[in-house]
This record gives sequence, structure tokens and C-alpha cells, in this order.
Amino acid sequence: MTNNTTPVFLKTLGRQYYLFSLILLVIAVIINANLQKNFFKPVALNGMLITFLPLILLAMGQVIVIIGGGIDLSVASIVTMVSTILVTRMGAEANHQQVCIALAMGLGAGILAGVLNGFCVAFLRFQPLVTTFATTSIFTGIAVYVLPTPGGAVPRFFMEPLRAKPLEIIMPFWVIFLFLLLWLYLRNTKFGRFLYASGGQPVSAYYSAVPVDWIRFTTYVLSGGLAALAGLSQTMNFGNGSPLVSGDLTMNSIVSVVLGGIPLSGGAGGLVGGVIGGFILIMIQNIISFANVPNWWQTLVKGVIVVFALAGPGIIRVSRRK
Amino acid sequence: MTQVSLSAQHLVKRYGGVVALADGNLDVHSGEVMTLVGANGSGKSTFSKIVTGVVAPDGGQLLLNEKAMNFSSPLAARVHSIEAVYQELSLIPRMTVAENIWLGHEIGSWNGMVKVRDMREQTNQLLNLFKGVIPDWVTPDTQVTELHPSEKQIVEILKAFSNNPSVLILDEATASLDLRQVNRLFELVTEWKQRGMAITFISHRLDEIYRVADRVTVLRNGRTMASGNIRDISRQELVNLMIEGGVVQRKASTAKFQFGEERVRVEDFSTNILKNITFSVRSGELVGLGGLHGQGQSDLLLALFGSLPYFGKVFISQQEVALTNTKQAIHRDIAYVPGDRNNGGLLFIRSILENLQLPSWLRYGTPIRMGQARRDAHDIARGGLKLIMSGLDAPVSSLSGGNAQKVVIGKWLLRKPKILLLDDPTKGVDVGAKNEFYKLLADLQVEGTAILFYSSDDEELLGLCNRVLVLHDGMITGDLSGDLLNHSELMTASMGGSMEVNQ
Repeated sequence: MTNNTTPVFLKTLGRQYYLFSLILLVIAVIINANLQKNFFKPVALNGMLITFLPLILLAMGQVIVIIGGGIDLSVASIVTMVSTILVTRMGAEANHQQVCIALAMGLGAGILAGVLNGFCVAFLRFQPLVTTFATTSIFTGIAVYVLPTPGGAVPRFFMEPLRAKPLEIIMPFWVIFLFLLLWLYLRNTKFGRFLYASGGQPVSAYYSAVPVDWIRFTTYVLSGGLAALAGLSQTMNFGNGSPLVSGDLTMNSIVSVVLGGIPLSGGAGGLVGGVIGGFILIMIQNIISFANVPNWWQTLVKGVIVVFALAGPGIIRVSRRK
Repeated sequence: MTQVSLSAQHLVKRYGGVVALADGNLDVHSGEVMTLVGANGSGKSTFSKIVTGVVAPDGGQLLLNEKAMNFSSPLAARVHSIEAVYQELSLIPRMTVAENIWLGHEIGSWNGMVKVRDMREQTNQLLNLFKGVIPDWVTPDTQVTELHPSEKQIVEILKAFSNNPSVLILDEATASLDLRQVNRLFELVTEWKQRGMAITFISHRLDEIYRVADRVTVLRNGRTMASGNIRDISRQELVNLMIEGGVVQRKASTAKFQFGEERVRVEDFSTNILKNITFSVRSGELVGLGGLHGQGQSDLLLALFGSLPYFGKVFISQQEVALTNTKQAIHRDIAYVPGDRNNGGLLFIRSILENLQLPSWLRYGTPIRMGQARRDAHDIARGGLKLIMSGLDAPVSSLSGGNAQKVVIGKWLLRKPKILLLDDPTKGVDVGAKNEFYKLLADLQVEGTAILFYSSDDEELLGLCNRVLVLHDGMITGDLSGDLLNHSELMTASMGGSMEVNQ
């Protein structure tokens, strides 16, 4: 019986869905380090983490929605909406109290956006793709209404925490670390079990007394909340806001999920995969910009990689049938 | 365990226009095994779904310990310790055995996390109940996708049992188990019964019913026909109660056809479900496929149409062929009418014309000679099919169920199929349209088409077919024609032919 003699850790490792992604990440890092001489210098690493924290946060939210069997196209517009609310409610001279109010409003808006998405998809049974595409317009509209032209300002002390270095390690690292820990906890709660069941086989889950609708609803709320945090970290980085939605951000969050080895059909994968996928994407973008090639290569390469990541399982299935 | 009694009175359930349950009555008490029997579509599964809160009844009431209950969801039924093992399994494939067994009632800890170790231990204890009849490599951490159907079934049973139910419904729980596993399950059922559990056992196998049951309730066409002590009812009486009007002679046989030469021959044919079956169909012959749901009938038709992999030999007009995709099958003049016409048979929102011509566009050249295509489609629609429609450009979705099903057949008529495969085509079709549909089949027979026809409606098989092959557990357990083509033979063969052996 081979199944009994295989060591437990090998079995566990072999079962990790992100194994392939992890290898891909290591390769990407090696190439990157060769092209960019100061890659492992703290300055470069810290800058990178600060710049890309919003993407990682969005990827996390996207992972949760996709495991639950949905998809959220509105994340980028939530980021924009939250950042316009933050900068207009603060201004450069804001005191601590005003900053707190602005924070509450910004994060509240993000969560409410998730509630709207979740309500439409889970309880009104709207198609997730169409729903979140439509709500994108609503959130973008709110952003333009709040801040018609790019600008706004935030007080200096508001931007500090993102660059703080507790234990000599930059804040974004701790944020990502904290969320991964939270995920480890969440995955081992009833919610975690219900999440995988709802996404994998909703009818079976319902038969097993799982509150499928509530679980779906919650995934969108979590995604909205994480998008709000992404908006917050973006504002802390730039110090101003813009009503223009960076459309790339939504696409990149989905690409991160795909690169993290998580099937878009739902019911499988995890937050770790999404984070790894996000970093792979960042590395690819870095490599292209340091390779001194025209910018449009970036889009092309990204597209090709996604097509291959998506097509992989299908190709295997077709070749097996022959 | 406290005493329980569950009583269902006059339950009614309609799905659209179809009445699944018209007057369902059943009582089950602590310490007994009630068995629920009935032919295909008599409402057994609907019954168990109502009791467990999966579907809400349209009428009637459910009494638990004399109190009226109204379960709005499976959760509500679970609160009252009612559990079911469903016919279509409710396992999540990408989760482990332990995760599946405890899904929905995980053992929680003070901090909200689930107690993985406790659940693994208890899962081990549960798996030990079937020790010896399931392989040793099945552990709490095994993924459900890796399991064999019989092991999945056992996990499903343990899942229901893990919640310590006072009422347990086993809906076809033995269908995929082997003999030793069934024996073990029956030992457990007896043990659980003695501990005061009320068990409802739904099965198609008469042998099992007589082994394990204390009382029996018979459903026919959604109505409870009889209820009583199993010892007082003989096998023959039970079968008679299950079928309409008792054992009747076959209806006046259809016109005699001269069968032509052999069209299809299948030898040692196997798929995941089918086990080495062999048969042949001659031209002009209408051969029915009978038996209970999911005994391999649909698999056989799909495999012959090249859309399921198979082992074995297929001869078409004495020539061996390999059917690995649907295009090859179509080129051999095989046509297939799927059971789920809206998804598998039609482009639902497209026009009748497009649907009729879908397999035939290549004949009309590039660019397509639309005039000719339209004339041909019109001839088919008005002539052979007698479609009731507003015009060829109307969408198929505007047609009634029966007319839509005619379009599914019609799209093959232009290609003059030599072999026609039908997968329960009259499901949800009204009586009038059914008759026209039968006439269409008779016309095709006269033209020499070999027809293989699966139907879940026994009346239809008996009234229409020249010969019926009965499938049970992937094997042919009956090849009925002439005088043997009657209700009791069909029912007996459907149950695996066990009746004669035991009488």
C-alpha cells in the first residue's frame, strides 16, 4: 500500500494547490534579482511592498469571493470610491478626530458596497459577473461626485503608519502576514468549511444544512471591506485621490487568483495562493520594466500567461481523452 | 433515546404542472423500519425531500410526536433530529471524508475554530462501523473524489448517522453497495432500531425489503396505496400494488413490422456503469430500454453516440466501427435525442428553422442556399412533424413541450437517420403530443430505422416497443418480447430478477 508508506509531510505538500505557483514565484524572483541589481536591498523591497499592497489586498478579497463560487468585478471602483471619500473628508490640515471620522466613512462605504453586491447576488440571485460590472458604474459615479477632479490632500501623520517599521520590517508585510494568520483561523471555523462547501457544490451544501445564501453574501462583504483597505493603503501611499478608476486593478486581482492556482469554478484554493499569485504578477511586471522592452509587452505577456494558466487543466483533459 | 413518531398525512407536491406527490401518507415510529416502495416516479424521493425540509409541500401536514411541523430548510429538520441519506449524493467532492461527514454540524471550540482532531477521531470511529467492508486506505483525511461510489455511499450514510438522528431516511442507500456492505448496513440498521431510532428505508430491491423491514407503505403515482405489516404481504401482492391495475396483459400490440437485417450489434460493451452487455437491433425494430433510473440506460445511448468512452465492439450494418466523438456517430447516420431537451437538444432561443437545420447546414454549400434550406425545413415541419407553430422563424422557446421535442427529432429527419437513440424523450410531454410523437416513431420504423428507446415510463415501453431490454446494475437482466412483455416481468427484471429465484 503506497498510500500508507508515503510520509505525511510529502502527502501534505503534494496536496497543496499552490505548489506550482510557488515554483513559478521562485523562478520569477531569480530572474528579477539578476535584472535588478538592488532587488534584495531593503529600499527596493520596501518600496515594492508599499506600491503593491493594494493589489495584494484586492487579490485576497477576490480569492474569498471566487472560492464561494462568485466573482467581484467592482473591487477597483471601490478602491477609487474609498480613496476619494478619504481625501475629501480630511484635507491637509485635518486633526486626529477628523481623520478618524474620514476613516470610518471610507471603510464603511467599502463595506456597504460589498453589502450591495452580496445582497444582489446571494438573495436576489443576480448573475455575479453582470451585477458587479453594473455596480462598478455606481461606485465610480459616487467617486466622481465626491471628487470631480484629481487632487485633495491628507495630513502628514496619516501617511506615516504605512512606512512604519515595527521590528525593522515594513508595515505592509505585517498587514499581509496578519491577514494570512486571520485566514488560517477563518479556514478552520465553520465559516471556512461552509465557504468551500457553498462554492464547490451549492446544492449538496444546501442539503447538508449549510446557509449557502448567507455565505455568498458574506464573501462580497469581505471583498468590499478588503477593497476599502486597499483604497486606504493607496491613499496613504499617494497622499491624494483621483476619481479615475484604475481598471487594471480589477483584472490584476483576478489574474493573481488564476496565477495562484485557484480554479475560477470555486470551492478550492486559499488566500496563500492569491498572495503568491499577486507576487508573481508583480515580479512579471518588474521583469518586463527592467528588461528594457516596450511597455505593451507587459500586457501581452500577462495575457499569454493567464491564457496558459486557464487552459492548463483543459489541455490535460483533452489529451487524456485521446 | 426518546420515543419518536413521524406521521405524514396527505402530502401534496407539484413541480410546475407535474404532480410528484398527490396523497402521500406514512407513519414511522421508534424502533421500527418502515419501507417505502413504488415504481419509477411514484414520489418516493419527493417524499423524503419533504420530510427533511429540502422542498416545501403544497399541501398536507407533517406530524412529529403529534405536533404539526413545517420545515423551511434542511437546517430546520436537522434541529428535530431528522436526517436523510439522499439518492443523489450530497457530498462535496473536493473536501475530505471527515469534512464531509461533519459538514453543517461541525464540532466547534470556544474560539470558533472547529476541532479537527476530535472530528478526525470520531470519523475514525464511524468508519470502524464498516471496518472490513471498506478498504483500509479510506481514512478521515481521504478526499471524497478518490472514493469508489460504494464508499461514497457509506460516507453519506455515516454523515447522516453522525448527527445522531432519531428519524433516519435511507433513500436507495443500498443501490451502489456490494453484498458484504449491504449485510453490514443491515446489521447496523437492526442495532439502531433497537436503540430506538425510527428508520424509513426506500429500496427497489424486494430481497432487501423483506430482510430488513417491519412494515411497508406502497406508493403509486404519488398516492399511498397500502400500508401494513411486511409479513402479511407476499412479493406478488407487493408488485401488484406497485403497478397500475395489478398485473395486466400487454395492451393490443402495435402493427407487425417486417424487421430487416441487423443494424447495430454491440458486444462486450462496458462503460463506468455498464458491464459487458451484448445485444443487437434490426432495422425497423423498436427496442426499449427499461429498468430503474440510472442503471446504465443513458450511458449506453450516450456511448453509442460517441460522447462517452466505452470498451467493447460496436458493429453497424455488420461493420465494426469506433465511436469516439459525436461527429463520427452522425456520419454513421446515428441520431440522438437527449432527455434534457432544453440543454442538450435545442438552441432554445433560436428559431425553429435554425434548430431543424443545425446538423445539416453543410449540405447547403457556402454561402448557404437559404431558399432550399427553408423549403426542406418547411416540408419536415409541416409534413412529418405536423408542428403547431406560428412560423419557421419563431423561436423554439415559443413551442409547447411536445412540439419542442418534435423539433429535436425533426432536426435529424433531414439526415434520414438509420439508427435513432432516444433518452426518455416524453418526460414532461402532454398526452396528445405523446401520441403524435409515437406516430412519428412508427413512421420511422416503416422506413427501416432501428430505434433504441429508453423510457422511465413502463406503460410507454410496454405499449410501444417490439422488445424491451431491462437493465439492472449495468447488466441486461431481461430481454422481453411477445408474451413475456408485460408488467410483472418488467418489474421483476428491474429488481434484478430476484423474484423467481425466491419463490
